[in-house]
Amino acid sequence: MSAQVLQLAINALAAGCIYAVVALSVEIAYESTGVVNFAAGQLVTAGALIGLSAVAYTKFNFLPAYLLVIVGMSMIGIVFLICVYLPLRRQSVLTIVIGTVGVGIFIQNVMLLTWGPLPKSVRSPMGSGAIKFGDVSVSLHVLYVIGVTALLIIGMYLLLYRSSLGRQFRATAQDPEAATLMGIRVKQLYALNWILVCVLSGIAGLLFAPMWLVDVTSGDNIGLKAFAAIMIGGFGSVPGAILGGIIVGAIEIFGAFYVSSAFKDALVFALMFLFLLVRPQGIFGERAADRA
Amino acid sequence: MLQVEGLSVSYGPVTALDGVSLAVSKGECVALLGSNGAGKTTLLRTISGLVKARLGSVSLDGKAIDGMSPENRVRKGLCHVPERRRIFPGLTVLENLEVATAPWRRFGASIATDLDRVFELFPRLRERRPQYGWSLSGGEQQMLAIGRALMSRPSVLLLDEPSLGLAPLLAEEVYARLSEISAMGVTMLLVEQNTAMALSVASRGYVLEHGHVVLAGASTDLITNPRVREAYLGA
Ligand SMILES: Nc1ncnc2c1ncn2[C@@H]1O[C@H](COP(=O)(O)OP(=O)(O)OP(=O)(O)O)[C@@H](O)[C@H]1O
Ligand SMILES: [Mg+2]
Repeated sequence: MSAQVLQLAINALAAGCIYAVVALSVEIAYESTGVVNFAAGQLVTAGALIGLSAVAYTKFNFLPAYLLVIVGMSMIGIVFLICVYLPLRRQSVLTIVIGTVGVGIFIQNVMLLTWGPLPKSVRSPMGSGAIKFGDVSVSLHVLYVIGVTALLIIGMYLLLYRSSLGRQFRATAQDPEAATLMGIRVKQLYALNWILVCVLSGIAGLLFAPMWLVDVTSGDNIGLKAFAAIMIGGFGSVPGAILGGIIVGAIEIFGAFYVSSAFKDALVFALMFLFLLVRPQGIFGERAADRA
Repeated sequence: MLQVEGLSVSYGPVTALDGVSLAVSKGECVALLGSNGAGKTTLLRTISGLVKARLGSVSLDGKAIDGMSPENRVRKGLCHVPERRRIFPGLTVLENLEVATAPWRRFGASIATDLDRVFELFPRLRERRPQYGWSLSGGEQQMLAIGRALMSRPSVLLLDEPSLGLAPLLAEEVYARLSEISAMGVTMLLVEQNTAMALSVASRGYVLEHGHVVLAGASTDLITNPRVREAYLGA
């Protein structure tokens, strides 16, 4: 493999990681509440912009700054739970889905008022350095994105499939009423769900911000790509969301290089439509196991 | 132990329960009989807190629990095995059992003795431990639903039609286990359409019709009662 292809592949993986994290957050919300979260893109932007301000506020102490982002995103999750999810829970799922669209618009406008419309550049905790492997030069931030994503995926797996909290979380997702009858505190788990969703999106924002300029709309495109990733990977499948994200990243980066950067988004959505036509259940399809 | 007084429940304009009173003492197994739509499920759902009563009161150990959330009622020892079993389809048998220990389990606490108790009652579940809930047969699902309830360490079990949809032989097996559980000292309120089977385990019974208790008495009296024989035993 030539150095150039390798270089592209690493960049594709990093972009794919960001889509995978957002797709994972959408997938978790869908699995546990049936709600398709259309505010995902705006939550990503919120993470990036809160990160920008937090980093400036802490004078480039990234660790406390990122903790502030996590706290901020958790608060958005709890506000969403209390103001939108719990009041609408008894309505149809579609009502809540439309609610998420409204929340996205609301968040975007608040961000516009707070940070203004101008694009901003954001620093990476890794600085702007790169390391060379022979002819391939990889920025430290790209490695950091891949590493953080891997840790997040492992962490989510352990939380959901290897802990008693995760068991309760999945039980509630599958049958909230039966979970209540088993003494599981369902509302707390819904809170956990929306906190996870917002924190994951926010982390995706922190990861993407140093790679591209950030303005109040930059998450929108990421949100759409995450949906494309889910369609390709298969709605209802967590591994599908991750794999779909990486496929979308690959098409985008290789498409921009070998075809045209003007067509990179079109290529992603063309593949998504192809999947919708030929294999609507995506690569992994919906697991019958979790639905009854 | 469990006391229901003057309970009335409506779903909008539909009155499902109208002034129902009953009592179950400690260690007793009581049957609640009635035909389709009599209000049996509604009564159990009101006792476990899923449905709010319009009037009347539910008390456990002499204390009213009307304001208490369903999750907290489980912590007081009241566990409801719902109609159609409602096991978690995407959890394994073992996970279904483990997840029900949420009300009492603290970090690091062992659930081994609780699991053993369930596996001794239902050896089939021990073999099926790694299997997903959805892949079980109807009988196995019912055993899992009862086993799962036991994992919450209940003092009162509410059971909604445990024989529903089971072949007669399986239904009999489930009832044999229920009488073992009753012999362990677990108090039971047993909803059933299969009248003969329910009265064979229960010592007393109530008959519910259109949201009213129309008959109450010892199982031996109910089973010979002409009204019960005609309406529910097809004799
Ligand atoms: N969620 C609901 N909304 C409106 N009406 C309801 C609801 N649940 C029950 N009902 C009505 O309340 C009455 C009692 O129903 P319930 O399910 O308690 O009866 P049941 O004795 O359990 O019947 P079955 O033997 O068929 O399970 C019925 O007339 C039923 O149509
Ligand atoms: Mg019923």
